[in-house]
Amino acid sequence: MSLVSFVKIQEDTINSFKKAIIDSLDLIGYSFTKGTENVVIKPNMCYYWDYTTGETTDPRFVAALIEVIREKFSPRTNISIVESDASAMKCKYAFKMLGYEKLSQDYKVNLVNLSEDTTKTVEAYAGGYKLKLQIPQTIQNADLKINIPKIKYSVPKVKMTCALKNIFGCNPYAKKFKYHSRIGEVIVAINKALKFDLCIMDGNIVSGVQPRRLGLLMASKDPVAIDAAAAKIAGINPKTIRYLQLAAKEGLGTTKFIQKGIPIDYFKAMYPRKGIQNKLMKQAYELIVTMGLNKKLGLP
Amino acid sequence: MQKVGLGIIGLGYIGKLHLKHSLKLPNVNLVAVSDLSKRALKEAKNAGIKKTFTNYEQLLHEPNIDAVIIALPTHLHLQCAIQAAEAGKHIFLEKPIARNPEEAKGIVTAAHKNSVKLMMGYPLRFNKSFRELKTKMESGTLGDVEIAYATFISSGPFFHRAESHTPLPVPKWWFNRDLTGGGALIDVGSHIINLFRWYFGEITHIKSHLGYRFNLDFEDSAICFAKFESGTTAVITAGWFLQGYQLKVEFFGTVDHAFAQHRPSNRLVAATQMLTTGMSDFHRPHFDELHYFANCLLKDSSPSPTGEDGLKDLEAICQAYQNSICLD
Repeated sequence: MSLVSFVKIQEDTINSFKKAIIDSLDLIGYSFTKGTENVVIKPNMCYYWDYTTGETTDPRFVAALIEVIREKFSPRTNISIVESDASAMKCKYAFKMLGYEKLSQDYKVNLVNLSEDTTKTVEAYAGGYKLKLQIPQTIQNADLKINIPKIKYSVPKVKMTCALKNIFGCNPYAKKFKYHSRIGEVIVAINKALKFDLCIMDGNIVSGVQPRRLGLLMASKDPVAIDAAAAKIAGINPKTIRYLQLAAKEGLGTTKFIQKGIPIDYFKAMYPRKGIQNKLMKQAYELIVTMGLNKKLGLP
Repeated sequence: MQKVGLGIIGLGYIGKLHLKHSLKLPNVNLVAVSDLSKRALKEAKNAGIKKTFTNYEQLLHEPNIDAVIIALPTHLHLQCAIQAAEAGKHIFLEKPIARNPEEAKGIVTAAHKNSVKLMMGYPLRFNKSFRELKTKMESGTLGDVEIAYATFISSGPFFHRAESHTPLPVPKWWFNRDLTGGGALIDVGSHIINLFRWYFGEITHIKSHLGYRFNLDFEDSAICFAKFESGTTAVITAGWFLQGYQLKVEFFGTVDHAFAQHRPSNRLVAATQMLTTGMSDFHRPHFDELHYFANCLLKDSSPSPTGEDGLKDLEAICQAYQNSICLD
């Protein structure tokens, strides 16, 4: 079983984020390896929605992590914040709009659009699916790769996303919608190919059915365990999430975890979960979509 | 019934909405559409439009077209409007009229010179609540409107999270101030400037405070303080930062207070409205303005808001940009 820590972020400040990061890593017994020179941080950027929506990683959270890394290693540690273009999002604008360009200037860290990086082609497999993947050089050269995801409800097929899905964003190919028919296999295959070392989940503000300040920070070395914990917080049984089960089967981690820190139920109680009203509305709308009426009516 | 032969130039979000409405209008015969996107043209063909062009100049040569809707990015308005006027086509032009007053003057002049009618697309003037508010104000039941507030804050050209888990890309031109002429103020603020000029007459003074939350080179929020000929002082708030849509107007008169709003229904209510009436209440003003435009052409009357209105709105907006104050 893997360790997952649950820490409460006390205040909305960089210092408070920093303390929570240090505490969460202590709880899982994580120690930074000496000699680390190149660190890659993968925040979650989703479209142009800023951190107040709970959809994207707060740049102040990343700033706090940069401070921790530089204190643990050296002030000269080379840090790259990475993201790639997506079907509807261009990094060029997202970096600027979501506050990462300013962060990069203030903290002297690299901002890398993986879609413009040099790449190496590899083949990755999951659930019988073969994926030809371009691995960006910045990720290949990293000594330490840190994943900073968000918990989110997703399309019915996926249900919920967190750490594993965030790494899907390291695929430099921009038109990612082409993978949507085999999304579970692709998420797992990419994670197998890129293998991030550490997940620190920014749950200060979560999106849920509506954004809420939850003040949660989770850390784990196991992305499957952290996703299983995230699913429980969001009120979803991890066993019903297909890609999570596949990830466990493919050896990326385990859905069974040992809780460290504040009990998970504390955050579970506060998470803005789907209620009966949302479920009924969703089902009614899904019926409209199934009948193909949404297109006729000009609805999304 | 006599019908206006119509062409639509530009099938982005608003162009597609006009296409849908044009097909339902009893006084319009939608002859052709043009857009660079082959996908958009295919969709139009599937909707029953026989003639589609990737080059709008070809559309302007169509003899059966009396008028065109120009729903192109703002930087393309001038050239397209001049060509349409020279081709003798009446023009329904989406707001803002242009990027700057010089271009706007070029458009107004071209329409006059070629004796074509030019109407600006400002659907709020066709919104029932906003029309009722005008009637109420003019009837004297509010007294003198001393202070007016307006708020138009939405997600602008960006999708908001309630709309879709999988948003569509934002066209590149929206990120380039040189192509748009500005941000939230010229985009959504122009609706309010136009509406308030309709209510209170010309603007005599205007100042603004502009916000740049998203670190772009154009504003994503603006608060304008405007004084009108009528003596009313207005606070106009425009923004692109909200995960949602809020459009409200509130008047404080010497006798009474009144307000009006325009808001989208949730998807289920909208679907029910579409099934029962063929249109959501939210989009009805767009339908009504087009219906009115076609009627004006058929009756040979002058449609309003005019190109001059578009120019005056833009002049006020440019003045607000010039007179921006910094509170930081």
